[in-house]
Amino acid sequence: MAQTLFHRVGGFAAVSGIVMDFYDRILDSEKAGDFFDGVDVDKMIDHQTRFISSMMGGPSAHTDEQLRRSHANLKIDGGSFDEMIDILCATLKDHNLDSEDIAIVRREYESRRSLIVVDLG
Amino acid sequence: MNIDDISQRLMTSVRVGLAIINADDMKPVFSNEHFKKWFQVEEDGTLGLLGEQEELVASITGLEPGGTFNFDTTLKVRRRELSLSVHISCLESDSLPLVLVEVHNNTRLKEMESMIQSYSKMVERNERDLKREKERAEKLLLNVMPKSVFEELKAFGVTAPTRYDEASVLMLDFIAFTEMSIADDPAAIVSELNDIFTNFDRIVEQFGCERIKTIGDAYMAVSGLPESNPDHARNIAKAALLFIRYLEQRNKTHKNAWLARVGIASGPVIGSIVGVHKYVYDIFGPAVNLAARMERRSDPMQVTLCSPMSDNLKDIFRLIEKGEEEIKGFGKLTLYNLDPSSAGHLDAF
Repeated sequence: MAQTLFHRVGGFAAVSGIVMDFYDRILDSEKAGDFFDGVDVDKMIDHQTRFISSMMGGPSAHTDEQLRRSHANLKIDGGSFDEMIDILCATLKDHNLDSEDIAIVRREYESRRSLIVVDLG
Repeated sequence: MNIDDISQRLMTSVRVGLAIINADDMKPVFSNEHFKKWFQVEEDGTLGLLGEQEELVASITGLEPGGTFNFDTTLKVRRRELSLSVHISCLESDSLPLVLVEVHNNTRLKEMESMIQSYSKMVERNERDLKREKERAEKLLLNVMPKSVFEELKAFGVTAPTRYDEASVLMLDFIAFTEMSIADDPAAIVSELNDIFTNFDRIVEQFGCERIKTIGDAYMAVSGLPESNPDHARNIAKAALLFIRYLEQRNKTHKNAWLARVGIASGPVIGSIVGVHKYVYDIFGPAVNLAARMERRSDPMQVTLCSPMSDNLKDIFRLIEKGEEEIKGFGKLTLYNLDPSSAGHLDAF
């Protein structure tokens, strides 16, 4: 069986570093940071760990319906979603992931855009 | 550089928040950058958010020289929740009542802890899913092979064909299956066959026999393997009679009447897994051929057998002799029907 991206980048040891870094950067972001403000730390870390792991083909835990429901009240706009993806991809790049692998992750996130972003128009 | 310079630099650059407080007026004599950042000290000579901590006053009041006090606190600094451990110690000093405040930032540690917890839960859940999947796969394999053969396959990856000198085989087929009124409705046929075969499986299991396979409307079972059983002939005969009785009962309450022929025979059998990727456990040998021939000679809703199996059964079953017949590959044999009334006492088994 082909190795998943999750295992290729070094499993949990590597992914945990990426999650931490991403979490730091997103909190600093002017555009997207507010969505993460006031969220319980444990919940936030749990969410990011599960999500980044699943995007990379590691142990996953989210169904589309769960994603839709958990983001429905946040009213996330397209621009913030773009920013979040950009920050994640920049983080992955700094953690030495191949551009091909980063493209895979970007596609995975993009394919869930409609579950996260609320059309404010 | 003198020792004071080194101390000054050390206190500034160390990754710990440090402050020295005058216990009399609760004002800092010194505080480093980490301390100022974490407690959001905006004005020199103040303690920032540390000053608002109730524990601070409580701990400093009455602290003797050499005494210490610890407390944990959480603060919010620009969207981040900081988990800080504060260690307070009273310094020996001749002039001023000084207190040293050491602050360790445990935020990362806490975050790592919750991350490991989250990941462990994920792994545990995956393990549970895997286990469930494995059990499902095992259950499927157990449908096509006896448990002991499956255990052998699991342990060694292969199984050897095994010869069983003493076993009994049952063959059942439905009469005029293709001409039945529901023959044009495959879904209905499958549903009824499934119902019937499921009940056969229960009967087979009840008597310690093994279902080997079904082919269309044919059903094949065996007794005496993979574990040998001296009662193999009796067990298969009991199962055969209950098959017939079950069908009779079922036909009374259902629109479609299913009429079966059953043949049973004893003799040597070879059991083996056939196939590599698609496993099928099958049996071969004289007992299989003979049971098939008995089944073909059986009348509707009868169980047919022949000598020498009859010797093993005549003590507990009533046998109705049908006369001698030439059986291809086996010579002249006396054929018998199992009297269905023999089933009357089967409930007691």
